[in-house]
Amino acid sequence: MKKIRLNILSIGVLLMLLFSCEQESTQKLPIMGRKEYKEVNGSIDTLYHTIPSFEFLDQDSMKVTDNTMDGKIYVADFFFGICPTICPVMKQQMLRVYGEFQDNSNFAILSHTIDPEHDTVAYLKDFSERLGVMNNNTWHFLTGDKDAIYEIGSSSGYLVPVGEDEDAPGGFIHSGAFILVDKEKRIRGLYDGTDPKQVTELINDIPKLLAEYE
Amino acid sequence: MSKGGQKPEVRGQRNNASYCLAFLLTFILFFSISCSSNSTTGGADVQARLSNKELKYFTNGKKLYTQYCSNCHMDNGEGLGKLIPPLKDSDYLIANMSISAQMIVNGYESPIVVNGIEYNQPMPANKNLNPAEVIEILTYISNAWGNDYGSVDEPEIKSALSR
Repeated sequence: MKKIRLNILSIGVLLMLLFSCEQESTQKLPIMGRKEYKEVNGSIDTLYHTIPSFEFLDQDSMKVTDNTMDGKIYVADFFFGICPTICPVMKQQMLRVYGEFQDNSNFAILSHTIDPEHDTVAYLKDFSERLGVMNNNTWHFLTGDKDAIYEIGSSSGYLVPVGEDEDAPGGFIHSGAFILVDKEKRIRGLYDGTDPKQVTELINDIPKLLAEYE
Repeated sequence: MSKGGQKPEVRGQRNNASYCLAFLLTFILFFSISCSSNSTTGGADVQARLSNKELKYFTNGKKLYTQYCSNCHMDNGEGLGKLIPPLKDSDYLIANMSISAQMIVNGYESPIVVNGIEYNQPMPANKNLNPAEVIEILTYISNAWGNDYGSVDEPEIKSALSR
């Protein structure tokens, strides 16, 4: 009797494990942001929120645009070099993401400075190398026109708050979000870049998103 | 998998039973590992090194460290690349306790060399910290993550901070 009970228990546990694995692998990442619906020849088309076109310079003075990201999925974030609050933790966590996927040519990271007056190309080069990022193959540290940076961070782009604020430590407010973008420029995930658990989630989600294109 | 479990053979049942046992053992192992570390009060070596009063400093210092320092110097005290210097195994900290106390309160702008590497990120000031809190932070960072510098010289730190 005892053995049969054990039997049932172990089958149950195995089934639960199987079920939980299956659910995880078939679940697609959500598509985030406002949807619009358009009628085309009698059927409804869903238009998803996409990242608008942009043009910035990276740490190697290379022009990085939305076209540079064609055929890639990428993670975006916002920071500034002399930030006294959450940026160092975000960079520590982004290094984990970089460590996992730096050799994948279908993957990129775009880190936008929100203090372009201070964070010039030369500064970002030094900053990235001190972080241990020795080339711009995968991780681009972007600077450029301040208004364009704030615009792309806002509701028309990555859906995160960025901007200047005299009262904030360091003079800027910005979100600690890591934003996962697919090859169609749609936002597929928002993660708290200061929370190691959420960054682990991101690291698990990136292969799922890449798998959609296989 | 489930087919094998339904077979009435004794051998199959025993296998399942051992699966179960393995599962249980794994869980128990998991929990015992995750609950075993008690970092708030420090390990046995920290408790041997510090007096009861200093252990209170250490515990308070850990809270203050999380609030004021760990954003940049990280929970593990290792800093960030060549941007933010480590406090763990830092040759600078042990040799410059008084200056470190002043840095915590007043911030620091100039480049600083730690373990042979030059760092030049500015460190923000924390003017609202009082000397007692600075001593608590110093006690924590001097004895956390394998650092074993022991007691912080309170009169020395207080006089450094009154300068």
